[in-house]
Amino acid sequence: MQVAYYPGNVARGAMMEIEDCIQPLCKTLGINLIELPKATSDGGNIIRQASPRLQHALAARNLALAEEKGLDIMTSCATSHSIHCDTATTMAADPLLASQLNNLIARSSNIEYMGESKSRHLLHLLIEEIGLDKIKDAVLNPLGMDIAAYYGPYMQRDGFCSEDDAFNPSYLETLITALGGTPVEYDSKCQSVGSPSLLTNEKTAMKMTAAVLSDAKQSGAELMVSACTISHANLDSYQVKAGRVTGKDTTMPVIHLAELVAFALGHFPDRLAQLRTRVKIIGG
Amino acid sequence: MTVVAKVWIDEDCITCDACQDICPEVFEVNDETSQILAAVRLDGGFDRNEGKSPLTGDLGAQYADIILEAAEACPVEVIKFELVSDGAETEIVAEAPAVEVAVAPAAAIAVGGSASDELTAVLGGDRSLTILFGSQTGNAAGLAEKTAKLASNYGLTPNVVDMDGYNKANLASIKRLLIITSTWGEGEMPDNAEDLWQSVQSDAPGLTAMHYSVCAIGDTSYDEFCKAGTDWDDKLSSLGAHSVQPIQMCDVDFDEPWTKWVLETLPRIACVDDSGTLQLELIDEMAAYGTSDDDDVVEGDFAPGHVDHSDIHVELELFRYCPSQGENGWDVIATTVPASASLEDLFINFQRDVDGSFAFRRGNTAGTATTGVRANGRIVLADIARVGQIVNNGRLRIEPLPGFPILRDLIVDTRRFEENRAKANPWVQADPREGERLISGKAVGVLAAETALSLHNMNAISSHLLAHGMSDTVDFDSAYVGPGIHLQRWVRFNDPRTSMKHRSQLLATLQEQGGVWSETDPSSIARHGSSGALVADTLNSARSRLLTEYKNAGRHGRLVKWYGRSVKWSGKLNETTLYRQVLGPIGLISNVFSGVSARMMLGFTRTGGPPIRSLQALLLPPAGVGKIPGMINSKVDDHHEVVSLFNELDQRF
Repeated sequence: MQVAYYPGNVARGAMMEIEDCIQPLCKTLGINLIELPKATSDGGNIIRQASPRLQHALAARNLALAEEKGLDIMTSCATSHSIHCDTATTMAADPLLASQLNNLIARSSNIEYMGESKSRHLLHLLIEEIGLDKIKDAVLNPLGMDIAAYYGPYMQRDGFCSEDDAFNPSYLETLITALGGTPVEYDSKCQSVGSPSLLTNEKTAMKMTAAVLSDAKQSGAELMVSACTISHANLDSYQVKAGRVTGKDTTMPVIHLAELVAFALGHFPDRLAQLRTRVKIIGG
Repeated sequence: MTVVAKVWIDEDCITCDACQDICPEVFEVNDETSQILAAVRLDGGFDRNEGKSPLTGDLGAQYADIILEAAEACPVEVIKFELVSDGAETEIVAEAPAVEVAVAPAAAIAVGGSASDELTAVLGGDRSLTILFGSQTGNAAGLAEKTAKLASNYGLTPNVVDMDGYNKANLASIKRLLIITSTWGEGEMPDNAEDLWQSVQSDAPGLTAMHYSVCAIGDTSYDEFCKAGTDWDDKLSSLGAHSVQPIQMCDVDFDEPWTKWVLETLPRIACVDDSGTLQLELIDEMAAYGTSDDDDVVEGDFAPGHVDHSDIHVELELFRYCPSQGENGWDVIATTVPASASLEDLFINFQRDVDGSFAFRRGNTAGTATTGVRANGRIVLADIARVGQIVNNGRLRIEPLPGFPILRDLIVDTRRFEENRAKANPWVQADPREGERLISGKAVGVLAAETALSLHNMNAISSHLLAHGMSDTVDFDSAYVGPGIHLQRWVRFNDPRTSMKHRSQLLATLQEQGGVWSETDPSSIARHGSSGALVADTLNSARSRLLTEYKNAGRHGRLVKWYGRSVKWSGKLNETTLYRQVLGPIGLISNVFSGVSARMMLGFTRTGGPPIRSLQALLLPPAGVGKIPGMINSKVDDHHEVVSLFNELDQRF
């Protein structure tokens, strides 16, 4: 199958390990990633604060670029996915706004978004299009770890999370099981870690990050996998700082969904070995 | 044997209804406080009983257990009582005056089609219609409401009354009565009807002045089909009441038979005139009058939305918290309930059948703002949220509304929210402005209809308390007053009646610490349905205005400015620029010392990648998030198209 690949704001920046992994895993599972070299940042819900219309225009242009190729967008970033879904549903519900946005992007790029292309998150694509059976058959290195699934709030919204339940999702858990891991249930899997405000309300974001990590850890997880690229930064790089701010036990390896799948499918065995070591040291 | 001599209510009742739910014979809760009913007091008063009037007769013994249970269940422990010492003789006292049951405000009489003089005469005088319902799952209550809506078409003033707590003494004064009741279990009364039913079994008043009809809901798969309804029909008849229409018995698909009954019954009962006489000859005219096409006639809902009559099996997990013991945990029970039952129906049944001390706030089945809970992660009003819409894989997990301190079980403390709301000052403080003069010469201000509609739409959510509970941030930032209050501030700011001084104050409070920038993640609000999306959009509008007003001041302003600029420059976000510009040198250095940069440099928590990317941070510290990204982005193809969009829509970047 073919999809228009949208890496999001950071998979080719601070989170290169996601980009490293998503390419081989898609190749293994028969997903052909088509580049959109003209696609831009979606505004990250930051540009929206100054101008909702500008953010919608950026996202609509990205969708129109995919539509021009007759493809859906696929991204591994929950925030990017939710932004594109939001623009698509807003334009479908408000024809006047849709017309104004289409006039704008037609003038700048000579394309329009007619609502045909949709945004798909990697997780939803794996479960609904590839299927757990095919993924299970492709596993070379069963994970064998107790893993907490973190969804975040961005795509856990009715209409944005495909057939999964918005408030009690289970797709990531079923995927973990298919990859030979053991999913760990905990309450905070859709709680925000305040990532949009990491630079501006750091103390609060640290408390929110620590709450999620310590909840997962107390529930028995030795590893966390995130479906959200930007929350990944809070949960991983900032976890010691979060622990210091709150006094909670927050140390735990955190990886992205794309890494988890790639490792189980046999890619980067050295990184998987390194991960297993870190799980032994700080996981549990 | 325990005997309660006196019971009274201290100040600071939070009106949680727990006492009334447990012991409606003694307690009644209004908007301000719980009160002791007149019928049980020696002095016949109806207040908190601050004078500590003793209980009448042997009621202190009869109700002792449930009074003590109610006192135990009170989250704020304001129910006080005195016990009679063992062996002491209780004084026999005279009956207190019968309690007056407050009658709901009369609805306006609808003006239907044209009427003859005879019909006009019938439509005059007392037009009250009492609709008593006995309901276990809410179906009969819903039909009672719909019946009331239609009754207005016939010039009646309907009053829908729950049988629970209804005083049988009032039956004698009813001229027109409709009973709608379901049957529970093996021919039993619904829980809310049981007490009234028992009370009329002995010493019931004569009802010769009453006209009535009964609509019974049941299930033909049970032997005792509609028995509760037929019992009431027989009882009213035996007490001398006059049936205007034979009992209608409805199976589980009750919409059609109820519609038939209500269309036949309402014209008949509406023909009972002020003197209590049924004017048979006017029934046809009354039927035509009530169903005329006049615009003023209230339309009934004869095509109700789909009602799910199926039963579903639910594993119910209820959060419990006992303040006196400082313990919390979960009650878990397996039960089968109608999919159309509300969460509140579940709570009521749990309280009655499992644990009388379970505390929750009751609503009026129409979306009461204080009934908010979190059900399977969704923030909902318990009195309107349906079990079938929320249950997931047979599981239903109920927690208190987040963002508030918990008083007991599902009852949360909203006092700080209300204090913050008062401080937020979202009231109208108007400047003198142009207006109109009334005929009386008095000057009044005016507000354009479209402006009023716009303000209303900005604030069209079911509950500001719910909006507060939708934010994932409020639990982690004590200074943040929450989206529910900021929404009210923003609406008042946009109100053209608001004075310039007040607008400036409102804007300043939105900008300051605890204001709209304290919300770390509006997405956590936006995901809660249409209300959540509305609140998030409104807060975003406030942020846009603040960015303009304060010229991108502070970290928030810098974040938006540099995020936008970096995207405009290349089409991509440049994280290095963002970190440098937003945090500044001191913030960057703090990341070095806090270990964030070190963790990235050492690659301890990250899964790897080329080591050179980790080492970059040694040369260009600190790295922001993750492996240090490029300092300069390559541009997306046809980058001028992006610049064009920015230039056209927002030239601030």
